[in-house]
Amino acid sequence: MSRPLLIVGGGPAGMSAALAAAEHGVRSTVVDEGLDLGGQIYRKPTRPDGGAPPHRRGEQLRARVAALADRIEVRRSAAAWGVFEGRRVALSQDGASELLEPQALVLAPGALEFVPPFPGATLPGVMTPGAGQILVKTMGISPGARVVVAGSGPFLLAVACQLVAAGVHVAAVLEASPRAPWLALPLSGFRTPGLLLEGMKYLARLRLAGVPVRHSRMVIAAHGDGALREIEHAPVDADWNPDRARTVREKADALLVGFGFVPRVQLAQMAGCRLEWRPEVGGWTPVRDEHLATTVDGVWTAGDGAGVAGALVAESEGRLAGLAAAHRLGALDAARFAALRAPLLARLRRLAPIRRALDAISLPRPGLANLVDDATIVCRCEDVAWRDVRDAVRAGCTTYRSLKVATRVGMGACQGCSCWPGVARLVAAATKGSPESAGPASPRPPVRPVTLGELAESRIAP
Amino acid sequence: MTPRASDVVVIGGGAIGSCVAWLLARRGASVTLLDASTPGRATSASAGGLWPLGESLGLGCGVIFHATKGSNGAPAQPGPEPLPRRFMEFLCASNDRFPRLAQELLATTGLDVESEVGTGLLYLLYDEEQQRHAQRILDWLGAERSRVEAWTAEQVRARDPLVTRDLLGAIHFPGDNQVNPMLLAEALKRGALAHGARFVAEARVHALEMARGRVDAVVSDAGRFACGAVVNAAGAWSGQIARLAGVEIPIFPVRGQIVCTETLKPGTLRSNLSTRDCYLLQKSHGEVIVGSTTEHRGFDASVRYENARALAAGAVRAVPALRSATVKRVWAGLRPGTPDELPILGPDGRVANLFHATGGFRTGIVAAPLTGEMVAAAVLGEAPPLPLEPFLAARFAERPAEVVRGA
Repeated sequence: MSRPLLIVGGGPAGMSAALAAAEHGVRSTVVDEGLDLGGQIYRKPTRPDGGAPPHRRGEQLRARVAALADRIEVRRSAAAWGVFEGRRVALSQDGASELLEPQALVLAPGALEFVPPFPGATLPGVMTPGAGQILVKTMGISPGARVVVAGSGPFLLAVACQLVAAGVHVAAVLEASPRAPWLALPLSGFRTPGLLLEGMKYLARLRLAGVPVRHSRMVIAAHGDGALREIEHAPVDADWNPDRARTVREKADALLVGFGFVPRVQLAQMAGCRLEWRPEVGGWTPVRDEHLATTVDGVWTAGDGAGVAGALVAESEGRLAGLAAAHRLGALDAARFAALRAPLLARLRRLAPIRRALDAISLPRPGLANLVDDATIVCRCEDVAWRDVRDAVRAGCTTYRSLKVATRVGMGACQGCSCWPGVARLVAAATKGSPESAGPASPRPPVRPVTLGELAESRIAP
Repeated sequence: MTPRASDVVVIGGGAIGSCVAWLLARRGASVTLLDASTPGRATSASAGGLWPLGESLGLGCGVIFHATKGSNGAPAQPGPEPLPRRFMEFLCASNDRFPRLAQELLATTGLDVESEVGTGLLYLLYDEEQQRHAQRILDWLGAERSRVEAWTAEQVRARDPLVTRDLLGAIHFPGDNQVNPMLLAEALKRGALAHGARFVAEARVHALEMARGRVDAVVSDAGRFACGAVVNAAGAWSGQIARLAGVEIPIFPVRGQIVCTETLKPGTLRSNLSTRDCYLLQKSHGEVIVGSTTEHRGFDASVRYENARALAAGAVRAVPALRSATVKRVWAGLRPGTPDELPILGPDGRVANLFHATGGFRTGIVAAPLTGEMVAAAVLGEAPPLPLEPFLAARFAERPAEVVRGA
């Protein structure tokens, strides 16, 4: 029997939603793909040499969820692979699928790292900072003997620090933005010291370890024969256009590259939620009302999956969505809901501009669209090269739908999640338009691998 | 704004509309092709089976259609009946055009529509009831019987070793093959453009300007297009287009769901397969497509989990090795259905310069080449290659509306 509330994602937003609802007696199920709750940000190290102690806030949230185990069912290593007809959610765990039919659904799936296509990006040894972090934190494996961390945004520094703490040799951090983000913050930002202190701490640690953090530099290509051997990087201008005359080649056997995050909106799209284009929080995001309700009845979204804004915002959003769901399920009357949400809304209002200022500096700039050559693979699932897409654009295909038909771009198992944000930027550059006019990818179930046999034998919860 | 007059405005950029546009443009007509790129359009949802015999005999997707009807509490029927013989002839003639069409499109546009000759269709016989039903249909075929072969289970195994061994035999349709429907539409569209047609995307039509019983102009989100003639190729939505001209045609959406696997080794399936539960075909890219349901759910193009699960179960029954294949996508589309399962083609008859190219239901892709020729001929005032009469909208004129609706 499905519990009344289903929460997809066990990061700060998902855990907070479950806690807020449970405090009002609502029974919920939290599903998460990880080995334990925490999401990307609060992922619990599973090895002592994992590079960083568990995040204190993450430990607190996990402990509170555990204390409410009678109300909050946690399903770990479980993937929500599709949403059907509103809020029927297909779930895969241990190779078996089932369909859950909650009365309320909170989607808190987090964000994906954004990696634009560039020559050599598909070489083994090139990975996202998050993937490198997982190697170190949960498997105790070093991504390489000489690691370069590159891209943009504060996450690069956090990962570089974790690598250093785990004994990995980090040769350099290459940040495309011109300076440390917090130096450009409005004064109001300093009233939320948590955000800033952490960043400064990272920078100090890297300096101590002798890891150079080079600003206004970007990786423009990766080289190797079957595996990464060398990278090329160059100084970039304010729009991140590389000055190729000053390209430097550097040895590296691991490149951790990411340019911020893109909200994971695929499940919301399958539920039928309308999206809007908000580049300042990562691109396409679900349209939401003040209480985080989407355009589909009984479906809320919270956290980075609804617009990248970090763990603090995610936690408040999660609580708000959990309260809204509890109110909808009749566990919380209108007056009490209004009283409880007011401080959350105030906090969200306070956090939003600071977070935006932080992100504005690391948001991808147009120069990122200048890295591809004809043969660069822009969609790895379907092995589509830039020349194929460029030719189709010239033939008049300028949207996801038409390019998919003409080139198969975005048609693979990732449902366009990993390639389309980058390709949309390339298309926008080629048509002198905005990625918005290329439209969002239209993902289909399953967003996680499921076999025909598993689907055929799946259960439908009564 | 510059005037946007053209001889013909074609509404709908699927396989059918693009084919009409291509043929008209090739003849020198000035053509504007309007597309709304509506989610659920049948061309994008189609599996691309070209099964003129299998479908007209009811042994393709029709079996599933029939089984669905039977499961709704109605008494069990012996099986789907063949569609009228003249429709079978129409589909066979259209299918015969594919090899040449594919060559022409490759030469004109550089696009390979993956028209695969020689794959053939196998209708799998699981039990004796199916065998008796198939035999009745073979007897009905008469002179056309030579186009169909009854295969033993051993013959099936020799041809397609991965097909289940739990089988009495199969009916083999050697002439029933496949194409890539999306590439077909795209190549036809680009072919039309190469011959001077204009393509307008995101052009949802919301009005037809009428005067003296004619359509003067088509008004869309992308502007107003004055025209000499209008071709209604809006698929499941073509009833709405007709209504804008003040006339009714009995078109209704019939939802079909598809489950598609990851890319599998070429030759995993050598034939197209149809069974009581689903059909299966491997595309040249390696994906196996499992279709399809026939559901009356209005314009809702969403996927119903239970139906996707049933298709998966049907696929695993037919080809047990597919159990471990990863599902890549599931989706649904809306076929344009008609009460008699035949298309609506040619002049409307009530509005002087309105022509229909719609109602392709399960066979819109295989019918596209000849549909294009027949409708283009009608627009140009020439004799069609086959008689249009069985397909005219006028055939529904005497029927009461409720019969038409309840199909």
